[in-house]
Amino acid sequence: MIYKVSLQAVAPDVGEIRVLEWHGAHGARFEIGDLIVELETHKALVEVRAGQPGVLRRVLAEAGEWARIGVPLAVFSDREDEPAPDDIEAAADLMVDFVID
Amino acid sequence: MSGEPSLSPLRLFFREAIARSVGEEMRRDPRVIVMGQDVGAFGGSYREFSGLFGEFGGARVRDTPVAEAAMVGLGVGAAAAGLRPLVSITYMDFMMLGLDPLVNYGAKLRYKTGGRMTAPVVIKTTAGAKGQGVAHSQCIEAWLMSVPGLKVVAPSTVADAYGLMKAALREEGPVVYVDHKRLFPSAGEAPRDEILTPIGQACIRRAGSDLTIATHGYMTGVVLEAVDVLAGEGLSCEVVDLRTLSPLDVTTLSASVGRTRRLLTVEEGQVTCGVGAEVAARMRESFGAVPMARLGALAAPVSFNPVLEAACIPDAGRVCSAARALCG
Repeated sequence: MIYKVSLQAVAPDVGEIRVLEWHGAHGARFEIGDLIVELETHKALVEVRAGQPGVLRRVLAEAGEWARIGVPLAVFSDREDEPAPDDIEAAADLMVDFVID
Repeated sequence: MSGEPSLSPLRLFFREAIARSVGEEMRRDPRVIVMGQDVGAFGGSYREFSGLFGEFGGARVRDTPVAEAAMVGLGVGAAAAGLRPLVSITYMDFMMLGLDPLVNYGAKLRYKTGGRMTAPVVIKTTAGAKGQGVAHSQCIEAWLMSVPGLKVVAPSTVADAYGLMKAALREEGPVVYVDHKRLFPSAGEAPRDEILTPIGQACIRRAGSDLTIATHGYMTGVVLEAVDVLAGEGLSCEVVDLRTLSPLDVTTLSASVGRTRRLLTVEEGQVTCGVGAEVAARMRESFGAVPMARLGALAAPVSFNPVLEAACIPDAGRVCSAARALCG
């Protein structure tokens, strides 16, 4: 199954985030609790950790880029050989945990 | 991003514009120091001083107790003695405790000493309503506009948060720099180069021909939202973002009102003796009895209750109603 990582409101008032660092390259496998990406909001660093196992297939917002809340940041899949469609808006959300610094 | 000219603007959070500005000025001038509650290792209540403590150390980025009178007093005194302090007062409401050293000493020092001494201090403070109740929500910048010797600036954009702070830190007398709680979640473009926003210069955020709307700070965004709605109704509004409240840019205001012959002022603070009252009086002196109206908070404290808070302060709907009434 294909998933998207998109950020829902992590905190009140957050409309836009900046990607700080991805913790894995394309093809990297994440287990529950692994750090996927660090983001910056207007007041805090946010760690996005895997809430389910998955493989990072495509990064849609590189480090240093800005994204509005709700815009997909990456594509994940259960298995590394699953075809990942170009349009992933309809994909399910990967379960993630947020750790706010 | 390769291939783009290096002069493309930089996208920053509002807080980062402040931190960048203060950091640059601290690197440029060793006399610039920062004092305030949680400005040190914590990086400021809104993280607007993030990174400065690490770079410049505790001697130049100093945490203070919760004692605003002492903080402003220290700032004014240190300025008189040769430093260029920035004193951070987290909530503008608590500037009231620091008004004696600021108004009676800082603002008058140059006059009292025949120009031999100055107090180049910046008081940076955050105004406005955002769910924090009667004593953490006020906009009292209009009080300060009547103090001779004091300058008051209020950025509404990331670029001006940056540029006005740089200009304030280079002034020879005290400057109060008023930002707003609701500006901190915003992000926007700032110049890549070190560019100062001149003190005393308003900015036309939207050109229009039917009505001039003079505003400042967070309300600028609220007014722009209203102006979009009004444009759909065929009403062309010119939006003047004052940026500096003292000294007022009467030249830009006069040029605008001279064209539109109508004035609406919008502020989050009180209408009585407010920013708009001063702007309207100045325009009346220039143009006589052109149609004018002032919009501001209701004459009531600002509740922490979100329904009552919203009922008290202007929003885009009320700006639209006031504009329509003036042009009807």
